[in-house]
Order: sequence, then C-alpha cells, then structure tokens
Amino acid sequence: MHKLIWKKDILAEIYTWKSALWLLLTALIYSVTCYLLLTNKELSLLDQTEMLWLLGKIIIGASLLVAIIDASSLITTEFEQETIEDLFLSPLPVRDFILGKFLTVMSVWALMYAVAVPYVLVSSAGSNLSAVFLAYAALYGTLLIAGFTVLVFGLSFLYRSFKNTLTTSLVLFLAAGIPALFAATLKTGIVASVITAINPLDAAFASLDNVLVDYHASLSANWPYLLSILGFSAAAGVFLFVSVRIFEKRGVIKE
Amino acid sequence: MQSNEIIKMNGVNKSYGGRQAVRDLNLSVAKGEFFGFLGPNGAGKTTTIRLMTGILKPDTGEIEISGKPVSEKSHRSDKIGVLSESKGLYEWMTGREFLRFFVSLYGVKNLNGRIDELLAAVGLADRADSPVLSYSRGMKQRLKLARAIANDPEILFLDEPTLGLDPQGQEDIQRLLKKMNDKGMTIFYSSHLLHEVSRLCNRMAVIADGALVADGTLEDLRRQTKKEDLRDIFLALTK
Amino acid sequence: MKDKLLKTKYFFTISAAVISFAVFAPNISSAQTAAGDPAMPPIILEISSSRTLSGTAGDFVEVHGDIKNAASKPITDVTAYLSLVDTKTHMPVDLEDWSVEKGLFVGTIGGAATLPLDWKIHFVTSGDYALSILAVVKDYDKPIGSAITYFHVAPKQNLNPGAVLPVALGEPIFLAMFFLAFKYRRDKKSA
Repeated sequence: MHKLIWKKDILAEIYTWKSALWLLLTALIYSVTCYLLLTNKELSLLDQTEMLWLLGKIIIGASLLVAIIDASSLITTEFEQETIEDLFLSPLPVRDFILGKFLTVMSVWALMYAVAVPYVLVSSAGSNLSAVFLAYAALYGTLLIAGFTVLVFGLSFLYRSFKNTLTTSLVLFLAAGIPALFAATLKTGIVASVITAINPLDAAFASLDNVLVDYHASLSANWPYLLSILGFSAAAGVFLFVSVRIFEKRGVIKE
Repeated sequence: MQSNEIIKMNGVNKSYGGRQAVRDLNLSVAKGEFFGFLGPNGAGKTTTIRLMTGILKPDTGEIEISGKPVSEKSHRSDKIGVLSESKGLYEWMTGREFLRFFVSLYGVKNLNGRIDELLAAVGLADRADSPVLSYSRGMKQRLKLARAIANDPEILFLDEPTLGLDPQGQEDIQRLLKKMNDKGMTIFYSSHLLHEVSRLCNRMAVIADGALVADGTLEDLRRQTKKEDLRDIFLALTK
Repeated sequence: MKDKLLKTKYFFTISAAVISFAVFAPNISSAQTAAGDPAMPPIILEISSSRTLSGTAGDFVEVHGDIKNAASKPITDVTAYLSLVDTKTHMPVDLEDWSVEKGLFVGTIGGAATLPLDWKIHFVTSGDYALSILAVVKDYDKPIGSAITYFHVAPKQNLNPGAVLPVALGEPIFLAMFFLAFKYRRDKKSA
C-alpha cells in the first residue's frame, strides 16, 4: 500500500507544480553557479577540485533544503486538508503511510541529483574527478536527505501543522548548515571535532573535501564522517518512532 | 448483543478538550436498519461516530461492531464505510483519480469496473475526468459518498451528508441512500435536521449535551414529547 | 714634434680614462655603493625574462632572473623574493595565488659567481603590473633590489568555457518545457 501513497504524492508533486518549480529553480541555481565558476575572472582560476567541492556543497545544500520543505508539507497537509481521517479509516497501516511519503521525498532527491549530473560533468571536464564526486554526492546526499526526512516526519506527527514543522526544520537545517560553511582552517580544536562528529552536514562537506582536495577517496578513509551521518539518521529514526507512538496514543483526531 | 444487532454501545463515556462529549451512551442498531442519529450542533454526534469507527477511544464503556469490539484496527475494516464531515478531498485529482486511489486502498478487484459503477451511482460519470477543484459542493459530497461506499460496506456511517447541499442535491443523496438500504446496507445517519431523518429513517435516537434523550420511531418521540410538529419535538428533546 | 707627440699621448690617455670611467662607473659605483654602505650586500639582481612576461589571465609563466655576487668572497644565506605591484591601483599584490614560492632560498653564492633564479607564477587577474626581485642576506642589514620590469596581463575572455552554455541554458529550458507539456496534456485530458 505504500506504493499507492508514493504514486499519489509523486503525481501531486508534479500536477501541483511543487517539485516542478523546485527542480526548475535548482537547475537555474546550478546554471548560474557553473557559469560563474567557469567564466568569472577569478573564480574560474580555482583549482578544479575546489570548484567541484564548492559545487558539491551547493548541490547537497540546495537538495537538502528542498527535501526539508517537501517533507514538512507531505504529512502536515494531510492533517490540514482533513484527508488524514479518511486515510486512516481505510486499511492503510501507519507504516505504509510513512514509507510511501518517504519514498516521495527520496524520489524528488533522485530527480534533483539527475538534474545536477550534467553540471558536474561539465565542471569536471578534463579531469578524472566526476565519477568519485558523483558517487560520494549520491551517497551523502541520500543519507543526509533520508535522515532529515525522517526527522521532519517526526516533527510533522507531533505538530500536525505545516508552519510549525517547517519553522523548526529550517532552524535545525541552519544549525547544521552554519558551522559547515566555515572554512576548514577555522575549524580547529576539540570544539570543531565535536561539531563534525555530531553535525551530519559538516561531516558530509568535510568528507567531500577529504575526497576531492586531499584525494582520500576510499570508504575506509571517510568512515568517521559516514559514521556521523549514520548516527544522525539513527537518532532521527528513534525520534520518528517515538513521535508515531505519541500520534497513535493521541489519535488521528487530536484529543 | 442480540443476533441482529450490528452496532452496540454500552455505557460509553468520552471527554476531551476539557468537556464531556459523550456521557453514559447506550445505543443499538439492528442489521439493515436505516438509523437516524439526531442532535443540535455540539451535541456529540460526530464524537459518537468517531467512537464507533475507532478513530477515538472511549474513556469507559464498550462498543461492538458486527459482534466484535472496536479496536484501533477496526476502523480499517472493510466492513464499514464513513462519510465524515471533514473536507477530505484531494482537489488536484480528478474524480476518477480520487476514487481509483481509495478503491485501490481497499484492494477491490476489477478496479475500473468498480470505479465506473460508483461514478454512475452518484451521478458523476460525465464529470469523472474533471479536477475535483472544479466540482460544486454537491458534487464533492457525492464524490465523498462514492468513496465511502467504495468497499461495499456492511455499515455506512454518515455525518451530516446533506450539509450545504441544495434541495436537489439533498434529494439525490437521499434517494441513493434509500436504494443502498433497500439492498441490505445498514445506515447510521447523523444529522441535526429532524425532517430529513424522520423521512428516511426507520428508527432514530436523539442526543443532547452528550447524553441520549430519546430513542425510537417518530411516533415514539411524539408520544414522549406530546408534540406533533417536528420542530417542537426537536426543541422539547434538546433544550 | 716632441710637443705634438706629448699632446697626442695626453689626449689618448685622458680619453681612455674618460671612456673607462663611463663604462665601469656603474659597477664601480655600485661596488663602491655596496662597499661604501656596509649594510647592503654586494649583489646584482637582473630579471632576464622581462620581454616574455606578458600574457593572459590564467596563464602560467616563468620568471627568470640572475643573482650575481659582485664581491670576490662568497656570500652565504641569500634569499630572493618576488615583489609585485598593480600599477593601476598602486597596490601591492598578494602573491598567495600567483606563486607557490614567493621566496627562494639561494644559499651561498661563490665569489664573482652568478646563479639563476626561476619562479613559476600564475596570472590570476588581468591588469598592469610592476615586478622586481629583492634579495636579503643574513649578514647584511639592508636588502637589495633588481630593476623593475613592467608587464601586462590581458583579461580572460571566454563566454563558453568547457561547453557550459548548452547545459546552463539548455537544462532549465528543457525542464520548463517538459513540465509545461505535462500540464498541457493533463489540462487537455481534464477539459
């Protein structure tokens, strides 16, 4: 039954222009970024690895932001449009409901990744960096978006309001994003190490830097960063589990 | 529970939002009955339906549907259909897409055939491929009714099904419900309109301020209140 | 006759002295300057690639120079640096991105010996520049510099590097057309 929810929501994304507009906007952002990187008098003289690292941060950051906004609306609009009661009056289990919505967000990410690929290929032309970059962008993008989606779903079940869910999610995104924007040279010492350990976005960017700039492309060299992201996703999963239990106890109609 | 009782409530209490929504409610509905559930706004009609369908859990008391206690899974049973008072429509979908989605959830075989049947039954066949956003209020209500009977339920719960409809729309819905009841479907019809309920229903119960104040045929209510006029009967019972 | 010969001898002697002075004076003066100012090292710096230095932003070029020990004794602990100034803005240029090695440790230069100096620099920004080489020696307080070389870096004009335009323009257009076609098809179906 999760496939029914998945199909319904994907069609909603397209027919209501939600994902369509986001894909278009992100394509425009990538276009401007790539063009500037390659033609700007100073930026185009960046080392190609640094160019890709910058592009990688933009791809992952933009996709994550879109995923958070999308995930914030998927469950909460069912409450606000009052379709949730009819959904749970049908034989649809909560588990399938969540899985279908989750697959919708991951599908949007897959589309955004596909949109980004030509830009990566053009920016990395002449080097042998595209394959490793695309592989790591896919890995980290998927893990980050999966983790944040699960977290946002947990908030959706608690708040049942799009506005509150989105506000909280964006604050969490900023809290993760701001330290990640600091240059590696500024992040020294034990505080910086703790931030990288608990901040999945920082870990992803640091790993991309490790792969592209320092040429440590093996998984074993990036294991600590992967661990940080997996840990975050696991914690988000626990939060969702608890939220769903609270939702089931309170009931579909909040008592 | 008597063998032909399909709905039974015993001593049910429910409070939420700081007020007692349903107090010590005892109610039974026989199989195949067209049962009316009357009350003014805020009397507890919607809460009662939600308790029966398992959307809400009672604080105390027992509720049985088709001889089985209502649990959190029972409202997902394919034996019941519900037309709730919530908006509950995906307006970007067409009528056909909307029904396809819900009919698929119930795992109905012969999907396309069943959808065509439902659309014809509620009179939406010619507008099936238009977006729900373009439907009138009456059409939306008919579409919701089609969804409620998608799984051919044994019991159909209706919460204010003709609310906001013009007389023709009301007539269309009522005719359809009568037809389904004639085929054996038990209908639990909740409304605040006594004239409507008295016309359609075999038996009715009246709820006021969460408590049952009357239960029987229209004649029983007339005898109880010593009133003839429907409005007077209603006011006498619910004041 | 004797007087004439004497006058001619005096004329050629004096002329030779004047010509010698004119030829050797700079060296003598610098040597005298160096020798005269004990704080400055007896070093002569020259940029030999001054004619080939101009290019376009993004180019990598080599700066060649020579460092000569004008004294007869060896000089130790010599370091040479590049110095670059933007002649339009009259501001020094931070060589961080221009050159990996701004300073070259030359070490010891033997008496009257000449050693080559080579830097690889990356033309980061277009403009007009003045380049010189400075040398510092451990045992001397003051640095010594070469003559200034002027060069021009032309701007990099490339409207479609790496064929980015087809992707940068094409992809958003393609997506927009795809979704519009989708919507048109659906609206037609629903009409």
